[in-house]
Amino acid sequence: MDPLVASASVIAASLAVGLAAIGPGIGQGSASGKAVEGIARQPEAEGKIRGTLLLTLAFMESLTIYGLVISLVLLFANPLA
Amino acid sequence: MEENDGVSESSSETLVSVEISSEPNSSMEEYYQLQNELLLLTLGLMLIAFISVWVAYSLNTSLNYLMGASVGVIYLKLLARSVEQLGRSKSKVGKNQLALFIGLIVVATQVEQLQIVPIFLGFLTYKAAIIAYMFKALSKAT
Repeated sequence: MDPLVASASVIAASLAVGLAAIGPGIGQGSASGKAVEGIARQPEAEGKIRGTLLLTLAFMESLTIYGLVISLVLLFANPLA
Repeated sequence: MEENDGVSESSSETLVSVEISSEPNSSMEEYYQLQNELLLLTLGLMLIAFISVWVAYSLNTSLNYLMGASVGVIYLKLLARSVEQLGRSKSKVGKNQLALFIGLIVVATQVEQLQIVPIFLGFLTYKAAIIAYMFKALSKAT
């Protein structure tokens, strides 16, 4: 592999993971915090709140996964090599 | 006597509060029902997509898809468990699941017989199931 392509791929992989984790990280933290707050206020609605949280977290985590896939493909199965 | 009563009252209050925070209440049944429904929807979609991919492409591609979808189901179960534990223990959301996914993609890139695209799309089957569940819930609400 060309050393320039290799180094650019490693930088791109690290940026992909890092940048893709910022938004979902903030979103997941905020959503989880609010959900726990809601459960503390209304314990009788715990099942509903946790259910909604599960659905939203599944969507938010997939954004991290997209970045992760790009970086893993760049590192282990680089199409540019 | 009064002091003793006060002590016993406060200790019983503490016991009650610990019981509430450590044990799931009856409203959690709704959550377990949601989990089961999502699991069944994912398995149904898996079966349909597996047969479609087998017919449209090949058995090898469909087995790749099945592998990704199976890991997606495990991922969803782990995510549901971590959401269930949220607020009860000190565990964080979304750590073990991502390790599982990283392992899957690394294996897919290293083994010659495996393809990345069907495995990744298979992994995303759980997301299609969630979207289907949302549409179902919306149609039920209206």
